[in-house]
Amino acid sequence: MNAALPSRDARRAEALESFRERGMPHRRFEHWRYSDLRAILDAGQVAQSGTAAWHLEKAPEGVETFDLGKPDAPDWVMRNLGTIGARPTMKEASLAFADGGIALRVPRGRKIAEPARLQISSTGNVRVLLVLEEETSLTLLETHTGDAGLLRNVGVEIALASQAKLSHVRFAASALKSISVEHIGVTQARGAQYRAHFANFGSRLSRTELHILLQEEDAEAHLSGVNVLGDEGHADLTSHIEHVAGNTRSTQLFKKVAGGHSRAVYQGKITVREGANGSDSRQTAKALLLGGRAEADLKPELIIFADDVKCAHGAAVGDLDPESLFYLRSRGVPEAEARHMLVRAFLEDAVAEIENEELRAAIWQDVEHALPHAMRAAR
Amino acid sequence: MLEIKNLHVAVGGKEILKGLTLSIGEGEVHAIMGPNGSGKSTLSYVLAGREGYEITQGSISYRGGDLATMKTEDRAAKGVFLAMQYPVEIPGVTTLTFLKTALNAQRRARGDSELDAMSVLKLVRQRATALQVTEEMLKRALNVGFSGGEKKRLEILQMSLFEPKLAILDETDSGLDIDALKLVAEGVNALRAPERAMLVITHYQRLLNYIVPDRVHVLAGGRIVAEGGKELAHELEAKGYAHIVKEPA
Ligand SMILES: Nc1ncnc2c1ncn2[C@@H]1O[C@H](COP(=O)(O)OP(=O)(O)OP(=O)(O)O)[C@@H](O)[C@H]1O
Ligand SMILES: [Mg+2]
Repeated sequence: MNAALPSRDARRAEALESFRERGMPHRRFEHWRYSDLRAILDAGQVAQSGTAAWHLEKAPEGVETFDLGKPDAPDWVMRNLGTIGARPTMKEASLAFADGGIALRVPRGRKIAEPARLQISSTGNVRVLLVLEEETSLTLLETHTGDAGLLRNVGVEIALASQAKLSHVRFAASALKSISVEHIGVTQARGAQYRAHFANFGSRLSRTELHILLQEEDAEAHLSGVNVLGDEGHADLTSHIEHVAGNTRSTQLFKKVAGGHSRAVYQGKITVREGANGSDSRQTAKALLLGGRAEADLKPELIIFADDVKCAHGAAVGDLDPESLFYLRSRGVPEAEARHMLVRAFLEDAVAEIENEELRAAIWQDVEHALPHAMRAAR
Repeated sequence: MLEIKNLHVAVGGKEILKGLTLSIGEGEVHAIMGPNGSGKSTLSYVLAGREGYEITQGSISYRGGDLATMKTEDRAAKGVFLAMQYPVEIPGVTTLTFLKTALNAQRRARGDSELDAMSVLKLVRQRATALQVTEEMLKRALNVGFSGGEKKRLEILQMSLFEPKLAILDETDSGLDIDALKLVAEGVNALRAPERAMLVITHYQRLLNYIVPDRVHVLAGGRIVAEGGKELAHELEAKGYAHIVKEPA
């Protein structure tokens, strides 16, 4: 079977061709309206940025790993690499220019309690592949640190077989000199669950894009995330969830706090395909603007071709509620502390979506760390 | 304790209080009654220090200091407490966490040592039981999904925790069933002390059967238009405001 599949080199050559043809994304291309990458980076720089270093803090027991920089990839890698989800131009670039990356496989029936911790801290292109076989579970903590400037471009592919459950927590530290691009493609079979939380503290330009295909009945995707942005920080989360099969469910809850001159973006498209009857989707995105110079662009979008579908979406941009602030202060809570309480309260339900208690506490710590920057020009 | 002289207050550019004069001594309980829209809540907000309530004339002195120039949170630390007519719902803040934060913020401002989580819990539980504020309510987000009566009981729980010097109760009785009214009144009466004063805003004489006021004031059109002892409340209940408020404000 292996011989019939195109080689990795062939796939990379094809991706390179595709990237060359289409070029850099920009304001009127591939929904990069609020994140003009072409204005600050050209195709040559993407090619030159090379391969990003990654570090997997010892794989949990029961998880098989493969270094994509090595030859003789196993069958499970060859069957999936470069095949999952949409292939926007920057994702093609990550395949074309990355000489490495990490692939993880959870074999059928294994439930892995200990989180897999993946760290990416350098610039460059890199690929990540996750294959969860039938009736498995895994928690992946993906941590982005470092602020060396230029580009980090990550192409992630996730294949969830039936009844597989992945909890994905992506943490991106503030990196105001750097450009961060990541595309995550997910395919989900019957009853598969994808829970993902995106905590992003802003880059010069940060784009996290998801394409999720709920391909069989009872597949569920639950996305949540928080931004705490200050200074010139930027964070764009763009998602496209496709309800391909009926009786599939998706929820999204994003909370964004933007201060300074920062910009928070959410573009969420949901497509319910023909015949995907009985699907249920909800999306909520809210932004809290601190000070008059921050900006939030929240664009939920629904495209429905099926019947008997439940869809709810909402977006709101606001300020701290003066009545709440007065209530707290009238009980003796000093103004700065009251503001702080209310900002935390605003983020609360989105952070609560993280199931793993330890990771949830860690995200709260990062939020605490980022809040003073976001609140600096709060008045 | 509290000395309000010729107070004029504008909200959103519109004058609501138009020369209100009122004085409350230590240990006294005063009631304010008056028609809807006469400015009762406005007065309570001005005393608590809500933004957007502009004092255009007159003065408020509280325990010898100028209340109008004090920050909202400092007033609370110095013993001013307002039980609001419409307590605010704050999702994402647990009631118990809020009580602890507020209590310790006031203690800190007064130079007292902060209480640890266990001591706060003990204190809150002890006061909560008397007001039938349940453990379950304390775990929920502040006022979120609380019934009207539950919100009012939580306000009185805070009063009982903070032990204010000047407590202003803005229609704490509205929305309470008869049993809750008694609980709340007991809570208030338990706090009556020679060094404390209370300002009770209400539409109903019923509350004043339990919390017997030293003075009753009638507020109409932004001014005090009548004053008397507790029998004035009975008279108002029987005859309405019409015979006192001659001209519409
Ligand atoms: N922001 C505002 N802008 C303009 N007018 C306001 C504003 N807030 C309150 N008012 C007006 O001030 C007046 C007094 O309101 P207030 O709430 O003090 O009345 P009240 O005596 O407490 O009435 P109630 O018995 O109904 O509680 C009302 O006519 C109200 O409409
Ligand atoms: Mg009122």
